[in-house]
Amino acid sequence: MNDIYQAALLAHAKNPHGAGAVPRGTEDAEALNAGCGDEIRVKLVWTPEGGLERLVYEIHGCAVSVAAASMAARRLEGKTPDEIAATAAAFAARLGQAGFEEEWGDFRAFNGIENYPARLHCALLVWQALEKALAKRAGP
Amino acid sequence: MSGRPETERKTDGFDAGAIRRQFAILNREIAWLDNAATTQRPEAVLKAMDQFYRQHNANVRRSVHRLGAEATAAYEGARATVARFVGAAAPEEIVFTAGTTAAVNLATFGFARWEIGPGDEVWVSALEHHSNWVPWQQAVKGVGATLKVIPLTPEGRLDLEVFRKGLAAHRTKWVAVAWVSNVLGAENDVRAICDLAHAAGARVLVDGAQGVAHLQPDVAALGCDFFAFSGHKAYGPMGIGALWGRRELLEQTEPLLYGGEMIARVDDLKSTWAEPPYRFEAGTQNVAGAVGLAAAIEWVRDLPAGAHAYVAELAREAAARLAERPGVRVWGPAEGRVSLVSFSVAGVHAHDVAQVLDGRGVAVRAGHMCAQPLMRRLGIESAVRASFAPYNAPDEIRRLLEGVQAAQELFT
Repeated sequence: MNDIYQAALLAHAKNPHGAGAVPRGTEDAEALNAGCGDEIRVKLVWTPEGGLERLVYEIHGCAVSVAAASMAARRLEGKTPDEIAATAAAFAARLGQAGFEEEWGDFRAFNGIENYPARLHCALLVWQALEKALAKRAGP
Repeated sequence: MSGRPETERKTDGFDAGAIRRQFAILNREIAWLDNAATTQRPEAVLKAMDQFYRQHNANVRRSVHRLGAEATAAYEGARATVARFVGAAAPEEIVFTAGTTAAVNLATFGFARWEIGPGDEVWVSALEHHSNWVPWQQAVKGVGATLKVIPLTPEGRLDLEVFRKGLAAHRTKWVAVAWVSNVLGAENDVRAICDLAHAAGARVLVDGAQGVAHLQPDVAALGCDFFAFSGHKAYGPMGIGALWGRRELLEQTEPLLYGGEMIARVDDLKSTWAEPPYRFEAGTQNVAGAVGLAAAIEWVRDLPAGAHAYVAELAREAAARLAERPGVRVWGPAEGRVSLVSFSVAGVHAHDVAQVLDGRGVAVRAGHMCAQPLMRRLGIESAVRASFAPYNAPDEIRRLLEGVQAAQELFT
């Protein structure tokens, strides 16, 4: 019935990887979904070498937005800012078309979401916050 | 399989099935419980609009040909129907707008803001839709006025005692309040608010959007100064609504849109305006929309006795059944639901509840419902809302409950 809620997506939504407290004012960036009031605040912790040690986020959102944040947190560990930006762009370009390929790993749980255009922005919420955080890090 | 065994059921002599058969779109296997967002349209409305375009279409008030005369007659006839519907003193007190939002903006920025100055106060209620909050918020901004909020009682009604004590003679200029809350579902005591406001020398705008499909509007009985509503929440077309204002207020209202048909005379460097309501209807108007709105109003008026009580009973029953479910919290006063119930499900996001329901053919609204200030006061970001119309069947409440249970099983 609801092919948007695949087991892999529900697993992330129920036990989100990297979710934690990011008190207001301490975030690197936040993103809001004006349509539903959902919000995410992200904090990016970097290694001395400049890779992402971990993505911490506090989210008030639906299963799709929580699962997307969880998948991002897992996938982006160790990645450089450029690699994160590239993944964000690739994901945004890819979302909404059927058949995420093997290399997308857990993101394949978003196969089927193309049938629910109203929910695509849920999957993008964490990426919008990440892009803002990277832009801020890069400076003016 | 029919899938709609209960639609033919009669409840207390009211035949929901007979209403439902007038709505072609409901032949789809959808339990439409999103009526507070927009209702569906009966054949009578679709036919009236179709007939206008097929037989009478022309631009109004500017053509000498016969179709122009027919279109003008249809448009002005629609205005008269709206005027009778809300109890206006004359058709000229009705301004056609794109909907409630446009009507509120016209009243706020065409009239009210010229009365608001430094140190003045404007009140909105805590349960206002953004369309009756943001315009006022923007109107006070920059002129040194203050926006004040009528709070809620613990039960979820407007706390008129706080309002009464907070009203400041000469300083309180405007009050903006919804007739019926689009989230909490109860009718507000607009008459009491108007009486209190007027005693303090303030004026009142009433957002009637959630009321007109279910309650008989009467601007004199409500006691307000402006009344705004949309067609599409009362079985009429989208993109048409109206602002009612007493003639003397409309005469002092500035137009917000300038252009064709709203003028008396145009010179190179200055212009004068047409009389109300034409002053506010610049450009080619939504004539078919007005015709459809009038047809919808007539359709609502001709609803069989018991239709409104039937809808209220559906909302009450849905609220009671939802409240019985563990993990479900119902918002708003227990008594006096007009047509809807909003609720939250512990551990399940509103959008996920709505998505599971959609998978089962039940359409509900989920989100902040354009009432973020209210959501914040309730301590939530979003909620689920089921809203009813006379074509809904009691069986659709069962489907709603089963869907909520399925969502709980999936996510918790």
